[in-house]
Amino acid sequence: MLFVGDRQAKGWRIAISALAYGLPFLFIIAPLLSFLTYSFFWVEGGQMHYDLTWRNYSRFFTDAIFIPVLWQTCLLCLAVAVLAALLGYPVAFRLATLSGRRKYILLMLVLVPLLMSYIIKIYAIRSILGGNGFLNRFLVWANLIDQPLTLFVFNLNAVLLTLTVLLIPFAILPIFLSLERIPKNLIEASTDLGASNWQTFCRVILPLSLPGVVTATSFVFVLAIGDFLTPQMVGGPNGFTFGRIIYSQFGAAFNWPFGAALSVILALVMSAVIALGRRFERQT
Amino acid sequence: MTIKLNRRAMIAMGVAAPALLRTSWARATSELRVMAWQGYADDDWVKEFQEQTGITAQVVFIGTDDEIWAKIKGSEGKDFDVFAVNTAQLQRYIDGGLTTPHDLAKLPNQKNVLPRFQDLAQIKGIMRDGKVHAIPFCFDSIGLIYDKAKVSPAPDSFTILWDPKYKGKVLAYDNGEHNFSFTALTLGFPDPFHLSPEQMGQIKAKLSELKQNVLSFYTTPDEALQLYKSNDVALIWANYGQQQVKAMKDAGADIGYVNPKEGALAWLDTWAMTSGVQDKDAAEAWVNFLLQKKIGEQLSERTGFGNTVAETGSANANDKLVWLEFVEDPTKRSDLWNEVKAQP
Repeated sequence: MLFVGDRQAKGWRIAISALAYGLPFLFIIAPLLSFLTYSFFWVEGGQMHYDLTWRNYSRFFTDAIFIPVLWQTCLLCLAVAVLAALLGYPVAFRLATLSGRRKYILLMLVLVPLLMSYIIKIYAIRSILGGNGFLNRFLVWANLIDQPLTLFVFNLNAVLLTLTVLLIPFAILPIFLSLERIPKNLIEASTDLGASNWQTFCRVILPLSLPGVVTATSFVFVLAIGDFLTPQMVGGPNGFTFGRIIYSQFGAAFNWPFGAALSVILALVMSAVIALGRRFERQT
Repeated sequence: MTIKLNRRAMIAMGVAAPALLRTSWARATSELRVMAWQGYADDDWVKEFQEQTGITAQVVFIGTDDEIWAKIKGSEGKDFDVFAVNTAQLQRYIDGGLTTPHDLAKLPNQKNVLPRFQDLAQIKGIMRDGKVHAIPFCFDSIGLIYDKAKVSPAPDSFTILWDPKYKGKVLAYDNGEHNFSFTALTLGFPDPFHLSPEQMGQIKAKLSELKQNVLSFYTTPDEALQLYKSNDVALIWANYGQQQVKAMKDAGADIGYVNPKEGALAWLDTWAMTSGVQDKDAAEAWVNFLLQKKIGEQLSERTGFGNTVAETGSANANDKLVWLEFVEDPTKRSDLWNEVKAQP
């Protein structure tokens, strides 16, 4: 821009825009297109066939296991998203009311878990939740129970809990940002007009922060539904989710086309959730 | 020291290894191109082999079955003389004409192997058209690990995995292919690798029952160990065999290992010569060298796996082992396994 008319600069500009468009294409669009293409191939007897077919998609609708598992997975992830937003809201609220250094120290603390490897966190949670895990030993020690509980050991509850713990930071941030964006003078006006703190919260702050809550919920939902490792590690025999079906198509089954088709279906579900979230955001 | 003794002993015996001695002096500095798994061609063996025979073994270590195939098939067998491969994988090499049969007269040590490996015709897959395409070398079984404090007496059958007494105390492996095979053995089906649709249906029902008894399905030995440590686990279907036993014992677990009477699945690695073998005598000298009792013992001590020459913890003499083969349809088994897992 500084050297408009300079031929060299023009060359640079072209190169930079080529990079700006080319890299996302190369690393995001092209892989997505390739697995979209793969989803129309098919496999039989361990051999890949490269003629195009709808059979992977029709199998999703006709085989009895896929839709129920997808539905259960959606419900599970919705629960995770709602839980994460409910638990994240008070934290975000506290963050927004703090000022100066304390705010940033607390913000850092909220973000620190994101720096830790995801797998290490799952392992840690697993040793907390196990039959002889930290939680059960603590409850037995505290005489609250006499037998170790199996409520949170290798089932969907454990998946729910683990995903919520892992994804809470992603709920806190958008809510925090939306709370920060509420003009202070609106809150002051509400107080000046005689509203109690509770009234101010219900009538002013909560409605204005709802877009953040919606973003947080859809964000957490999308992250949760794409996860296959957490259900694998803490779900036990009954924690079977859609992500695990997709995963198995690429490993043991060696059916990449079908795995790709299931991924496309999952991507559609995610897009629908994001679109729904945005629509809701605009309305509020 | 041992090397000198060996050589002297051989000369003294005169007839013990004429083939070996011939190669050692006839080819003072020849080279042998070996492809092996880690642990199958340790440095001290390579050194000793060179001192005894004058042959330098150039070893390339591989990490996956597909890597072996890529390298052997890629060069049509010309880049290596001898390679390690399991009996299931071996079939596509024989089919593709990528192997050269062994001459048993050049492998005198094969006469001293354990009874299980004496009759090579009994080991499915290594002979074809009366020719020996590979020599068994290393194996491990997939048996049962049990906690000695919780399971007594020691189990002798896979059916214990279904015993309601151990509900929530069983760890199974997350893989359709193996789970169908071992359940087929448990149900007494003769060929666990080629199942009819009816047999598959029966196995699927049986696996759904197993699921009710299982605490969790694991995928790695580490994962199984961690599950064992933080939960009340009594029985583990040990996909990683002795490797898993060793890791658990190192962690202080009081466990035992059995190959149940229905027969335990087991993998078997062999040595095969490529179609492009340059010096057949040198390659056979290498295989014969590795079939010594001392090497077998060291192999088992270092890796935990069973060898074909000396008895080890992988299997007792009377244990029934079922050598793994390719299954009729891995995709089908994986789909059925997903259905088992998706059931409530």
